[in-house]
Amino acid sequence: MSDRRIGVYICHCGGNISDYVNVETVRQAVANEPGVVVAKTAMFSCSDATQQEMIQDIREQNLDGLVVASCSPKLHLPTFREVARRAGLNPYRYTQVNIREQCSWTHTNDHAGATEKAVRLVRAGIARTNLTDPLQPIVIDTVPAVLVVGAGIAGLRAAVGLADLGLSVYLVEKSPAPGGRVGDFGAMYPHGKNGRQLIDRLVGEVRKRELVTLFTNAEMVAKSGTIGSFNVKIRVGGKAPGEINVDVGAIVVATGFDNYQPAADEYGYGMDGVITLPEFKKLLDDNAGELEYNSRQVKNIVYIYCVGSRQQDGENPNKYCSRYCCNAAVHASLQVSEKSPRAHQFHLYRDVRTYGKYELMYNEAREKGAVFCAFGGDEPPEVVSGPDGKLKVTVRDLLTYGEELAIPADLVVLVTGMVPAANSWLTELLKLPLGQDRFFNEIHPKLRPVETMVDGVFICGTCQGPKNSAESVASALAAVSQGASILKKGYVELEPLIAAVDPQACDLCGDCLETCPYSAIEQDTAAIRINSAQCKGCGGCAPVCPKGAINLKGYTDGQVKSMIDALLKEI
Amino acid sequence: MVQVNPGFIDQVGQAKTFNAAACMNCGVCSAVCPMGIELLPRKLFRYVLLGMEDKVRDNSATIYSCLLCKMCEVNCPAGVHIAENVRTLRYYLYK
Repeated sequence: MSDRRIGVYICHCGGNISDYVNVETVRQAVANEPGVVVAKTAMFSCSDATQQEMIQDIREQNLDGLVVASCSPKLHLPTFREVARRAGLNPYRYTQVNIREQCSWTHTNDHAGATEKAVRLVRAGIARTNLTDPLQPIVIDTVPAVLVVGAGIAGLRAAVGLADLGLSVYLVEKSPAPGGRVGDFGAMYPHGKNGRQLIDRLVGEVRKRELVTLFTNAEMVAKSGTIGSFNVKIRVGGKAPGEINVDVGAIVVATGFDNYQPAADEYGYGMDGVITLPEFKKLLDDNAGELEYNSRQVKNIVYIYCVGSRQQDGENPNKYCSRYCCNAAVHASLQVSEKSPRAHQFHLYRDVRTYGKYELMYNEAREKGAVFCAFGGDEPPEVVSGPDGKLKVTVRDLLTYGEELAIPADLVVLVTGMVPAANSWLTELLKLPLGQDRFFNEIHPKLRPVETMVDGVFICGTCQGPKNSAESVASALAAVSQGASILKKGYVELEPLIAAVDPQACDLCGDCLETCPYSAIEQDTAAIRINSAQCKGCGGCAPVCPKGAINLKGYTDGQVKSMIDALLKEI
Repeated sequence: MVQVNPGFIDQVGQAKTFNAAACMNCGVCSAVCPMGIELLPRKLFRYVLLGMEDKVRDNSATIYSCLLCKMCEVNCPAGVHIAENVRTLRYYLYK
């Protein structure tokens, strides 16, 4: 028998649970389980009134364990841990049992079955709770400094923002000068200032701040430590090469994107007069007067959109939309209208995505005479060189009722998009997860957009996915506030549900070392240790240990076995 | 295959009296046309914008069958001056 004093609450969830699961039957079935001293049902366990009732029960009945059978722990685990904490009960002596998603919602046609399953799940939760130990969060002191990797528009803005919050910043740029892609841009919408001016202004701000140290020709080459306290080795090239070690509490990755490079002959790329969007923008910036290409006047321009984006087939197709290219191409088209008002411009697109305020730019381009033709994704335009050596683009225009057009062109602009920057060494070094599109992946696209699975490492700008410069800066500032929110507090608290090695049982075989995806297991001649800041509690190491010397706190072998016994009771 | 003729665009498409840039191909004009002229004006304007001279000439009979009643124009959500454009085209064809 158990000497524990556990309170169990079975939730109706309005009717979400009780319409399918007989909660009273569940309550009766578990009321006499070992350790249970309070067993109640509740209409809404998460309501203030029920929370108060639980706190009162915990205090009056002197409870040392709490089980709530309700919804997914993703929703209310923190809620009820907080209830326990407020009542003076260690929050890690709380167990949430999910009888909504796992019983009522999955077995809507089988009320008896759903109820029976709920009984077993709650029994398992009680069994686990019987063996809970009080745990304390792992507290780590943080270093008030940040490493920012990449000094493009996002990295520069992040550095300024972090410094303004009183944090030291090491800004590392691998090329000889800061600025990134935007540094090469000419006039930008909507203010007409060119990219270089924007960057110069940011670099000026960086120079004003003593807290920021900018390293150019520099790369991060090694990283150790964990959130709050990383040690980073920076290799600086250039005139005075050397290596520097710095301690930082967080790392902001802002390594940007690469331009899509068309394959040889993709839409005629390689032919005289077929150029990419970045090449075209450079041409525009270099031409003060009427637009010329190779000393020839440019009268007819054909733009082909979505080159390298929204690909449907091929090996590793770039299925995503690159987001900035429609706007950039239409903006370039307006610049052409100013430089060469008599030029004809034909935009062959799949879908125009000049969203938000950029729509005005699209309207303006049409009013200035640019013609837009839509082609189907399965029928891309073709670029051919005629017998006279002149370029011709053929396309089936869906807006002219599928009419096949042959458009003469002096210049064909391939509106190329963004691809992930080639920096696999960084991915490897930081162990950053990649998305299907091979950009760095955030934890949650909406709710945690700049945090990564690696605690203390943040991503912003286009290394995360296609963005325009305004969006890059916004995400940089998001990374600033997320990073600062950890570092300004001075310490971080981590979940204590991590692996633990029993040194008595461990025979130092080292089998566990390779199972850890987070490099959290360390071995020396005397012992195997778990780095408590690095361990995520995934449990991958525990079953591999031939001696059974590794246990996951909160989910020990003893707890899991008792849960299995409880699930199988009376079978 | 229709050859796009940029010269034709300059002559008609960019004439001050012809403006169809705002046309977004919705088709309201064709739907409300009392003559039931399906061509006019949305298709026709595409031909002009794209310099498809032959297509415009092939349809001169249709262009002259327009009543200039402006039913299409008052219903055009993009505010295109359709009747004025048709007149410009007639002038061009007559020349």
